[in-house]
Amino acid sequence: MNIMTLQRYKNEIILLVAILFALFAFIYKLSANSYVQENQTIIQKQVTEINTITNLKDQWGGKNMANRVKTLKTAVTTSKVKSFNKKSKKLIASYMNLTANELNKVTNKLINIPVQIVTLNINKNGKNQYSMELTCKW
Amino acid sequence: MLTLSLMDKNNNRLFIHKDMEHVTLEHSVEIILTPQFYTFIREDLDVKFTYQAKQIAASLFDDYIDNSFDYQYHVNKCNDKWCFFAYNIEEIDQFLESVGIEKHRVSKIYFAQQLNDELKEPIYLSEKNILQTIDDIVTVIPSRLMEANSYYKSLNLSEIKLSSGITMGASLDSFISLKETIILSSLFLILGIIFITEGNRIKSSIFNENQKLTELLDENPKYTSSLLRKSILDKYTPIDKKEREKRQSIKEISKFLSAKSQLQSLNIEKDTIVANIQTSDSTISKQVETHAKAKRFKSTSNGLDVKVEKKL
Repeated sequence: MNIMTLQRYKNEIILLVAILFALFAFIYKLSANSYVQENQTIIQKQVTEINTITNLKDQWGGKNMANRVKTLKTAVTTSKVKSFNKKSKKLIASYMNLTANELNKVTNKLINIPVQIVTLNINKNGKNQYSMELTCKW
Repeated sequence: MLTLSLMDKNNNRLFIHKDMEHVTLEHSVEIILTPQFYTFIREDLDVKFTYQAKQIAASLFDDYIDNSFDYQYHVNKCNDKWCFFAYNIEEIDQFLESVGIEKHRVSKIYFAQQLNDELKEPIYLSEKNILQTIDDIVTVIPSRLMEANSYYKSLNLSEIKLSSGITMGASLDSFISLKETIILSSLFLILGIIFITEGNRIKSSIFNENQKLTELLDENPKYTSSLLRKSILDKYTPIDKKEREKRQSIKEISKFLSAKSQLQSLNIEKDTIVANIQTSDSTISKQVETHAKAKRFKSTSNGLDVKVEKKL
């Protein structure tokens, strides 16, 4: 293409360049849109996963749980704690002669501590007298 | 006879006439066409703008030019009249090539008619021709018609102010006018800028989320692995679900209890929670059963004893 042809079609060339610019800009916008759509879902999923993992690990990871389960022992008088064996990440405890209030107190403490309740057996032995056996781990 | 400098060295202006010699150019030139390359008409028309005059240019030359060739037209105001020029750019182009002037060297094209005041006295074009204004029209005159002792003016082209020049490209017809080009190009440019701005805004919309993710991954680099994340989630999600259900069930069972409905036993083993409740009468027993069903417990009664059960 010689200079004269370029000059002859100068207007058309300028317009073509402007059209191409608008076209590429439109393609850029579309690609930005699709990039965001693809990545936003992935990023949001990753953020949710990491937050969930952090929360779950904080809750069920058993950090400082050895101290927290001690409150199950001190919730009632020592005479009513038949046994309280804490080994590694497991607790086996047994209570006897608990009143309804004491049973409530121990149960409330238990459900507020993030341990996995493996077994829980509560039995009424007499009037307002309960025994309780529990196994939990973390 | 005076020697005329046809090529001005400072301004690089050059008369173009059919007897001119071959030239070698290193810089761009402005050329001045002699009447050999154009047809000129001066008219007193009742039009105000150049574009209006240009619209009727072709019809004015109907009787003067050979319609088998493709002509271009140039119009400019000269005093109170309109000066019309018809020229064939292809013919000019071919001639320029034949005398060694490359097209891209031609920066502007003027018409000798625009020098009508300067050419009141003749100038020497070649051995065969001279250029002179006759009746306000610049004309090429054969030198043989001149008297032997005629005076030829020396013309310094660089000192002459010329306006209304045209370019090689502009002299050719474009499909789109300059005005349309400017309007349409501006619209497309604005549109393009809007698209780019919008694209950037869309891209930056996930910037905050991306930054949040980067911060989280910086704090916990091991969570970069999706497999590890899945493994941790697979481990803790069921624990979370079951333990929450166990605690919720214990709370719900405690709500079934009252002075007239007392807990006899409660057992959680594996995935089952079972409670036996002793009620004082059948009405209370039915109430406990109703509440238990409402909380999605399976309930069975044996007299005043109600057994509620739920799979976790």
